[in-house]
Amino acid sequence: MRMVRRRRRRGGGETLPSGARVLVYRWDLDKTYLRSEFGTIRELLRTAFERAEDKVDVPGVAELIRALKPAAERRGCRALIHFVSASPPQIGKAIRAKLDLDRVPYDGIVFKNQLQHLRPGKLHNLRQHAGFKLIELLRGRLDLPREAPEFLFGDDWESDSLIYSLYADVVAGRVGPGRLGPILRRIGVDPVQSEEVLGLAARAAGADVVERIFINLERRTPPADFRLFGRRVVPTFNYLQTAAVLAADGHLDAEDVVRVGGVLCGEAGYTARQIDNSLGDLVRRAHLTSAKAAALRQKLRAAGLLPPAAEPPWRRVVGALKRIRARGREKTEASGRGGSDAAVDYDAILDRLRPATHGGREARS
Amino acid sequence: MPTIAIDAMGGDHAPDEIVKGVAQVSLATDIECLLVGDERRIQAVLEHASYNPEHISILHSPDAIGMGDDPHEAVRTRRGSSLLVGARAVADGRADAFVSAGNTGACVLACARNFRLLKGIRRAALASVYPRHTDHPGQDPLALLLDVGATVRCEATELVQFALMGAAYARRISKAPSPAIGLLNMGAEASKGGEALVEAFRLLQALPAVNFAGNVEGNDLVRGRADVIVCEGLLGNVALKLIEGISEVFHDVAGLAARRRLAWRMGLRLLADGIDRVRRLTDYTQYGGAPILGFEQLFIKCHGRSNARAIANAVKVAAKAVRDRVPEEIADALTALP
Repeated sequence: MRMVRRRRRRGGGETLPSGARVLVYRWDLDKTYLRSEFGTIRELLRTAFERAEDKVDVPGVAELIRALKPAAERRGCRALIHFVSASPPQIGKAIRAKLDLDRVPYDGIVFKNQLQHLRPGKLHNLRQHAGFKLIELLRGRLDLPREAPEFLFGDDWESDSLIYSLYADVVAGRVGPGRLGPILRRIGVDPVQSEEVLGLAARAAGADVVERIFINLERRTPPADFRLFGRRVVPTFNYLQTAAVLAADGHLDAEDVVRVGGVLCGEAGYTARQIDNSLGDLVRRAHLTSAKAAALRQKLRAAGLLPPAAEPPWRRVVGALKRIRARGREKTEASGRGGSDAAVDYDAILDRLRPATHGGREARS
Repeated sequence: MPTIAIDAMGGDHAPDEIVKGVAQVSLATDIECLLVGDERRIQAVLEHASYNPEHISILHSPDAIGMGDDPHEAVRTRRGSSLLVGARAVADGRADAFVSAGNTGACVLACARNFRLLKGIRRAALASVYPRHTDHPGQDPLALLLDVGATVRCEATELVQFALMGAAYARRISKAPSPAIGLLNMGAEASKGGEALVEAFRLLQALPAVNFAGNVEGNDLVRGRADVIVCEGLLGNVALKLIEGISEVFHDVAGLAARRRLAWRMGLRLLADGIDRVRRLTDYTQYGGAPILGFEQLFIKCHGRSNARAIANAVKVAAKAVRDRVPEEIADALTALP
């Protein structure tokens, strides 16, 4: 069964030798890149016939993706950007035109060639969706250098956190065929697709390459809902937060974060307070240290996106002492939480999803 | 957008219901919410709720004043409490208004300690809104009663100031262009009540800026005669608790009747829609909180039992009061005094 239409193209501006370390960024499209509305048949049809210039991207996402390749090059690496979309290929032309309009470089794009599976507002979609996405992720992996780190970007509409985590654990060898088969059965993946997933998994397994899974909280799902997925999954409320975590991990520069912040303020009407609060939220959720947030704030201030610090010197000293204390607390917290090595309890996750899928409601990832 | 500080640790259901209420506000409005309290406890609740972090910041305070604590002692000794830290944040201009469901006495004292009284105001007043009968379409179904506990006894000039403050608040929040002011008394005649009430009656009647409806008696409280009812704190507190008590007894009696006899249960079922309307009218969660008036800064005091909905509505009321420049309106109203 041929499920996808695939289009590959070269991203611009790559001057590095082919032996350079490769970083892979794989993006979902709907609700992650685009603000697509699929809630009703009318919205689905409108999306299908929308022109590129009418499509709306999530604020800051294009700026963030544009920053990935140059940032990788500055580090002597090569970034590959791929899109994996459950949208039908019929709207692929408009989507590719939209990416061109946004000047977003990409190296590959995959669409799901099964329009009949697009039933709005129903999560039995998960069955087809999980099978399709796992197959495409694993296929893509086989084409990549074995050790190339991967960063996955999804949203909280269609269980991307579950699919991406499963993919990460399969590739890392933490979920072998003996465990993967029953999980796919529990999800309800079509047996033919399951076979394909198992076959691809056997070939792709071998390296723990997925560093981060970013989930765009488009539906404002409570972040605590993602705890079962471990520290690898980072739920973010906007792309400034995503950029800040990537910068903290060393894959973007502070200037890139500032540019994303600039887009949020300049084009999406964000205030300085909202920018500051977004960083504060990341710190409280322990995805960013206070020290790194302070460094980013300094850059944002310099760019005029945050007001200059009006604190008296004594308060700055108190603030610094608090940050040192907080850093100690963060270290304790980090040591107490699972990193990517920790096994994800898929049974617990599927137990939680089960009532939603059986009740016909949309499940939250 | 106004910044509203919220005492996350004040109230019977703090911090859970307070934080959930703020989370609701963050999703539904652009109000900037500054949660004051134990950061770890606040964050623990927040992460389990749907919220928009772009509208929420947290000001850490390690301590909290309990509902049963002695207000004077607590305000004097517990400077790190969420109530006092929040009040200072508002006084410093970090937030435009403060919302708390905490210890009422401590709230009033925290205001007195940190906020500045408006020029000319002798004493602040704690107001409360309560449901009343409406006389004409468009009339606010809620009336304002003040003072309900910031003072015990008052002089005539203080009651007049309460009237001006209440009228200014009603003009801005209830959108009543000329709110009717009533003086809570034991009879309608001008000579009724003690010396202070007689003098207050005379002063209010002589003020052209006030739409004075005269003395109102206890049975007028829930009628639509006055939009703002003025009294000293002792009387106001007793009246308010009486209204709340009657409402609770009404619900209890209805519940008891439903359990006792099948015919009553069926009757109540038939009246369910009407009863639900009455319940909604007397449901304090829909109006969230009431202001402490007389300060340059705004303070909205919520019911101690406030749930998330009540807190969310109180934050919206606070934001509305900031946007509608209630303290400035009160300051302007005070110029009417001779």
